[in-house]
Amino acid sequence: MTTIALDAMGGDNGVSAAVRAAAAVSLAQETGVLLVGDREAIDAELRKTRYDASYLSVHHASQAIGMAESPKAALEANPDASLLVGARLVSEGAADALVSAGNTGAAILACARHFNVLPGVPRTALAAVVPTERRRGPHDDPFSLLLDVGATLDASADALVAFAHMGSAYAARISRNARPRVALLSNGEEPYKGPKAVIEAHARLKADPHINFIGNVEGVDLPRGKADVVVTAGFTGNVVLKMLEGISETVLDMARAANRSKLAWKAGLFMLRGGILQLKNVTDWQQYGGAPILGFDHLFIKAHGRSGQRAIQNALKVASKASRSNLCAEIAQTLRAQTPAPEAGPSGGGEPA
Amino acid sequence: MSAPHIYRWDLDKTYLQTDFDSLGALLRTAFQRAADKENVPGSAELLRALRADSAGNALIYFVSGSPRQMRQVLSEKLRLDGIHFDGFILKDNLRNLLKGRFKALKEQVGYKLPALLQARVDADVRSGETLFGDDAERDALVYSLYADLLAQRVSPETLESVLDLSGVYPDGREAIHSALDRLPQCDPVERVIIHLDRRSPPIRFEAYGPRVVPVYNYFQAALVLFQDGRLEAQGVGRLATALRDRYRFTLPMLLRSFQDTLRRGIVDYDAAARLGRQAESVGVSGEIIELFAREAREVNMVAPPRRAQQVPDYPKLLQREIQRHAIEKARRKSRKRWL
Repeated sequence: MTTIALDAMGGDNGVSAAVRAAAAVSLAQETGVLLVGDREAIDAELRKTRYDASYLSVHHASQAIGMAESPKAALEANPDASLLVGARLVSEGAADALVSAGNTGAAILACARHFNVLPGVPRTALAAVVPTERRRGPHDDPFSLLLDVGATLDASADALVAFAHMGSAYAARISRNARPRVALLSNGEEPYKGPKAVIEAHARLKADPHINFIGNVEGVDLPRGKADVVVTAGFTGNVVLKMLEGISETVLDMARAANRSKLAWKAGLFMLRGGILQLKNVTDWQQYGGAPILGFDHLFIKAHGRSGQRAIQNALKVASKASRSNLCAEIAQTLRAQTPAPEAGPSGGGEPA
Repeated sequence: MSAPHIYRWDLDKTYLQTDFDSLGALLRTAFQRAADKENVPGSAELLRALRADSAGNALIYFVSGSPRQMRQVLSEKLRLDGIHFDGFILKDNLRNLLKGRFKALKEQVGYKLPALLQARVDADVRSGETLFGDDAERDALVYSLYADLLAQRVSPETLESVLDLSGVYPDGREAIHSALDRLPQCDPVERVIIHLDRRSPPIRFEAYGPRVVPVYNYFQAALVLFQDGRLEAQGVGRLATALRDRYRFTLPMLLRSFQDTLRRGIVDYDAAARLGRQAESVGVSGEIIELFAREAREVNMVAPPRRAQQVPDYPKLLQREIQRHAIEKARRKSRKRWL
């Protein structure tokens, strides 16, 4: 049975959402959850919640890092922060993976402090799933993997190539997509378009026999699902991801407003509810359970800062699934097969976007 | 010789894993053979350990809401489990049906309270009691009320109020009053253990005071009983081993359960340390218990403050239980907003 460490103090919704998510996962009796954070606050929440004690434990951490704090300074000032303690527990083998909805930059730095960067990884990458029209894999998954979405600001050609390999391994393991189609995000399909790093990465990926590289894709191809794995630098990835989330939420808000304004519209929407609900489910970010940071020897899943119980619950499920399928070892193996291996960066973390 | 200690057990969802949440499940349960009935993990092992550690000075009674027609199959099940019991009370639901008392088919207070009080009339006045129930019905309320009635801590008005709220029939009231008239004042109920079959939040039972202990599994119950001096370290170790070997409880699951008892303050650190020391001296399941002792040291937490046992406001608690039941029923029926 896998055990997932959960930073109980991270995220906009605080201890309550984390504890309720851990409790719900414990009831499924498949995954152990190790809640890391202020024991009194965790226990105060647990006593009001349905949970299974055989699948849930607590590790006390006396400090926490706020969402708006400067990552580096906050980690220096709070050595017993739940994020740092969680990462340490994973590195010591007390848990198989770490999940946090907290400060992204601090989380990446905490992982960089306690985890090792895999050989051949110049920069770690934060990967997120984005909903698509096209479905893939044995479960007809309606999403592509987009990376990096914020672990670094910029990325070299080496980093983009490594992201492609890591994303491909992730899609193969988690979506059970045997030969995922990998693409670079650019401003045109032509191989000479885009920044210098993208052009160089394009050339190298095209010649790489270990990867199913389909070339460049444009922003418009992302929701269509032309590629299963879309590779980009962290700054662009983060902007794209937030824009897609914003569009999805705005469309639903507009539908809700329409539902309230006129009886005829309400009736029409009700008749279309099957399709609308399907669309709502596909575009609901809470469904996808967070973004893994790829490139470390241990797994970290970053849940959205705004995550409520359901989103954190799904992040825990993703972490459990990835741990069971030995994702980090699979990525390491994929990178070993790649020749020549690029030189690893000093921290692997870089500056978070 | 000291008076025997009495263990009173509910059957469904406490000793047996019974599903009566739907009509189909209820029918399946009714026609199930003894050999097909499943125990709540560790229930039979715990009962056997309690019997063994009492050196023959324990009495085991079952008080169940199952109909009397099931006596044979249930007795057979207990025989198969190697449980020697001293009494077995089942509900006369046929009589309830024939008299048109449909409410009495499910009602707990009007059945269990007189059954417990009448059984106590025949007991040695010096005997202590440990009661086992679950969170599917109102066991915590009925057992606590029973304990406080014996100790004469409940006023006649409060009792009448509870009986009114529960809709107890006149003959049930008569049985309660008749038993109370014959019982001397005593305070025998040491502990009420509630198996959280439905994983109810622990807060639901806090109003009953520290005597009522909700547990997620019988390993936790064994730890509490060890603390109470009702079970030896060997018994706890044997139960842990049985849960691991027969019910797929892993060592991390047992450790988490143990940590939970410490965090909730239902087992104190002294008892945890004592468990480690005794395990070393008896050398049985030492490996497992040593791990628990280490966990207790590593957790190194300040135990929550001990709560004092006070008489709960029974009518208020019963009203809350009735409300909770109604809310759960309404929630099951209600449709979610679709957009």
